[in-house]
Amino acid sequence: MANVELKNVSKVFLGQSGVVHGLTGVNLAIPAGEFLCVVGPSGCGKTTLLNVIAGFELPDQGDVLVDGARIGGPSSDRFVIFQEPALFPWLNVRQNIVFGLRMAGVDQRIQDEKAEALLKMVHLTRFASSFINELSGGMKQRVALARALAMDPAVLLMDEPFAALDAQTRDMLHEELEAVWQQTNKTIIFVTHNVREAVRLGSRVILMSGRGGSILKEYPIDLPRNRYLEDVQVVTIASKIRDELRQEAVRANEAGGTDAH
Amino acid sequence: MRTDSKSDISHAQLFLRRHERMRSRVMRLAFLAAAVCLWHFLASAGVWNELLFPPPREVLQSLISGFSDGTLPAAIFASMWRLCIGYGISLAIGVPLGLLIGRIRLLDDTVGSLAVGLQSLPSICWLPMALLWFGLTEAAMQFVIIMGSLMAVTLAVRDGVRATPTFYLRAAPILGAVGWRFYRYVLLPASFPSVVTGAKLGWTFAWRSLMAAELLYVTTGIGSTLMMGRELHDMALVVASMLIIITIGLITDRFIFKLGEEFVHKRWGVG
Ligand SMILES: Nc1ncnc2c1ncn2[C@@H]1O[C@H](COP(=O)(O)OP(=O)(O)O)[C@@H](O)[C@H]1O
Ligand SMILES: [Mg+2]
Repeated sequence: MANVELKNVSKVFLGQSGVVHGLTGVNLAIPAGEFLCVVGPSGCGKTTLLNVIAGFELPDQGDVLVDGARIGGPSSDRFVIFQEPALFPWLNVRQNIVFGLRMAGVDQRIQDEKAEALLKMVHLTRFASSFINELSGGMKQRVALARALAMDPAVLLMDEPFAALDAQTRDMLHEELEAVWQQTNKTIIFVTHNVREAVRLGSRVILMSGRGGSILKEYPIDLPRNRYLEDVQVVTIASKIRDELRQEAVRANEAGGTDAH
Repeated sequence: MRTDSKSDISHAQLFLRRHERMRSRVMRLAFLAAAVCLWHFLASAGVWNELLFPPPREVLQSLISGFSDGTLPAAIFASMWRLCIGYGISLAIGVPLGLLIGRIRLLDDTVGSLAVGLQSLPSICWLPMALLWFGLTEAAMQFVIIMGSLMAVTLAVRDGVRATPTFYLRAAPILGAVGWRFYRYVLLPASFPSVVTGAKLGWTFAWRSLMAAELLYVTTGIGSTLMMGRELHDMALVVASMLIIITIGLITDRFIFKLGEEFVHKRWGVG
């Protein structure tokens, strides 16, 4: 549990074709325990937002505060789940999950106990000794989730983690993630380009502008849990956001803002 | 993806693959036999002086007598021992150096560019310097082997480190792998495929440097045996030594480095 606050955060990149605005004057307060989803057109700065919060990139302007204190670089307290699972192919599933504990010098017995509990939680007990190369995409993301939970971070940052998965696997992972969030009350910042996924998971959805990485609109989602992607209310809210997103993409194109990939 | 061992399809595939491997093995042996026969006929046709073009039979005899009087095993052992020490030192320096150069810009601009420059120097060019520094000692030979292979190992590992995907580098600090732990537990295994490539390249360079050095240097060793054949006008010994050199090269390539590459292929799914 930790609250995250961005104060007037800006970040520019020097690209091949001049200055690119990754983030422009972003103000955002994320109370502890919120499940925040971030959507926006491709290239609008969603990944940059996560990288800045994770501490991988320093903002050019403004501050990122966690529980009121300015962050200093990456920390296991703000754990990132990347789109490519970023697991270590030279270690098996169990070893990947406890890697962080091993680095911290945690007692072997405690490592084993945690590994068993997490393997069970993500339904991978049978695959504890498998190597990463032998797993499907969905299993890899479950290992990545277990590895993140092993570090017990206050904030979980997720960058389109389920984008490459098939619909059934994604539905299952939505349920697992929602359960984790409800049990642990972690602060989750979840980036996706899938608006319905954002509405299904988030307690709030923010829409980023395609022109220079600022926040365009935000939508509190007050629907009861547990939700489904097909819920009428989910679909209704999602289509409202999607219309806005589409208009924004058009406006961004006309302004010659970002590329459209 | 794990294939279902019960399915007929995978059985058939396995059979076909084995069959194919068998066939290519037979083809290789047949080709080798044909080459030896051709050699035999060319030698016995008497076009060339037998002293300059010995038949396979004489080479075989030379091999047999060399092995039975112990001179060839001693020469092979001396060369391999030398190689293992020099190559071992190259690995022990080159792998950590490559890891550091790949990560630290300042080191790459300095030591890295020096390595690139020295890489273009054929290793045997180090021999005069080695002889002046170390005299006619083992150290001189080791020096040539190390200078011949160190750059290749270092640069291959450096390139591997540079190609390490960003998400490994970003996952490391949030998992608490910082400082030396980052190098030992993330960077080294992450660049293991290129370490294998570098090790293989380094071995080839070390082996060639050693042979070049032994040819110019009076000592026990398989390269020196080759040179001795020349001095004694014993062409059969020359060819026998060359065959041994080829065989050692093939064995290390086939068995030692194949194992490393197969391991990489299985775990990393590349290579
Ligand atoms: N390291 C970088 N160098 C140059 N430009 C970058 C870099 N990282 C991101 N950008 C640019 O910043 C913008 C925002 O990128 P990103 O945050 O990755 O967008 P998103 O994740 O929403 O697709 C894009 O136009 C992208 O090209
Ligand atoms: Mg992105």
